[in-house]
Amino acid sequence: MTDEREITLTVNGTDRTLEVEPRKLLVHAIREDLDLTGTHIGCDTGNCGACTVLVDGEPIKSCLSFAVQADGSEVQTVEGMEELPAAEGDLHPLQEGFREEHGLQCGYCTPGMLMSGKALLDETPNPDEDEIREAISGNLCRCTGYQNIVKSIEYASEELAETPAAADGGAVTPDQRFDDGDDPADCETGCGCRGTTGRGGDSDTEGTST
Amino acid sequence: MKAARFEHHEPETVGEAVSLLESLDELTILAGGQSLIPMLRFRLARPDTVVDINGIDDLDYLREDDGYLKLGALARHADVQEAAVVDERYGSFVDTAPLVADPQIRNRGTIVGSIAQADPKGDWGSVLIAHDGEVVARGPDGDRTIPADELFLLPYDTSVEDDELITEARIPVPDEREGSAYHKLKRKTGDYAMAGVAARVRLDGDGRIEDAGIGMTAVDITNARASEAEAHLEGERPSAEVFEVAGDLAAEESNPESDEHGAAAYKERMVSVLAQRALGDAADRAGVTKRRATP
Repeated sequence: MTDEREITLTVNGTDRTLEVEPRKLLVHAIREDLDLTGTHIGCDTGNCGACTVLVDGEPIKSCLSFAVQADGSEVQTVEGMEELPAAEGDLHPLQEGFREEHGLQCGYCTPGMLMSGKALLDETPNPDEDEIREAISGNLCRCTGYQNIVKSIEYASEELAETPAAADGGAVTPDQRFDDGDDPADCETGCGCRGTTGRGGDSDTEGTST
Repeated sequence: MKAARFEHHEPETVGEAVSLLESLDELTILAGGQSLIPMLRFRLARPDTVVDINGIDDLDYLREDDGYLKLGALARHADVQEAAVVDERYGSFVDTAPLVADPQIRNRGTIVGSIAQADPKGDWGSVLIAHDGEVVARGPDGDRTIPADELFLLPYDTSVEDDELITEARIPVPDEREGSAYHKLKRKTGDYAMAGVAARVRLDGDGRIEDAGIGMTAVDITNARASEAEAHLEGERPSAEVFEVAGDLAAEESNPESDEHGAAAYKERMVSVLAQRALGDAADRAGVTKRRATP
């Protein structure tokens, strides 16, 4: 009755096999067994959405699913955002948007917001404000009042529209995947900027919002 | 908190699932799990066994067939929002799905699970009542259908037997001159209804209401039918005055309790308001559907 089951999850593109009790929640498997603590537990009741992850592309609350139910599924967590093609080796446009538009204060809800935002933009690349508010309606934020979160997602939508080839799921060139802007050596000032010529060099709006 | 230990079964067919229900005690059925998993975690439920039906592909459907809109036990709330078959003829479904919980929960939670849970605050039970719907339960002796009016007994209790699995919920495909709607009062996204009303009207060739259905959410010990309000509507022409009387009758038939969301008297008043709005939309849609049929 206490036996563990072997399950395999494809987490952020990598197959991970783990042994779990059937009663273990997906969020606990992600945080405790896989050590991916970016996925947060906010409320423990299914209300707050901090634990939102994508399972086979759909946003779900990982505190409302047992890990065994995700066996054989693809799971995306916030840790995988930077590895997506649209991130071009740096922050994903959504993450960048939250930074540029002050979409977070304490940051606790942010991983869930990012995953809900990602699910929205995958389906609806140019959402209007109502669609954004609807998409994040299962995610609670007690700091921002949501205004800047909406702006952050709008920012990402515009960024992704400007680099359509790099949109997630789109064609990815080796240039984009292994963008050498990621290499600190490219920036010789030693400023720690990780080579800002990398992403956004092709973007007219880069930097204008700060 | 963690759920108490349980044995996890994943049948792949309805037959296997029913055999498990027959042979095991102290079990619970896991579909979407969006109500059940918190209950397990807070140990409000401590079954020895969880029969997880998510692997039964045969139960994953939402289609029109044989004069019914049929929702298999694995049809999710989000499926209702996305399915092409759920068009303006199914106004109450179009209204209800986006009002259930939030997007993440709608991706997982099922309509049949919500009905089987029999929470008086569940939305779909009222829709089932308004449409004179029924569920199909598979047991050791085969299938039987249970009309909505005979399904809900008490909060969290239905007339489905322990060795039966609800495989389907279904409603008759609406007539051309039929419209329906759902109105729900809640404080914010994700909340259960403080009160909700599903309404359906069918007009005759003369524009009079020949059949009406009204189901109420969160204002009685189960989802409840407003029979007197329905009776008042039959034979009448849709009008604000007629709907006001029907709304007040529905309010009288409701039995809400005062709680942190509002006093009983307030909720009764809201039943009347929500019923009037739902009836108004339903009547409008009955007209729209009629026009659509003649290009």
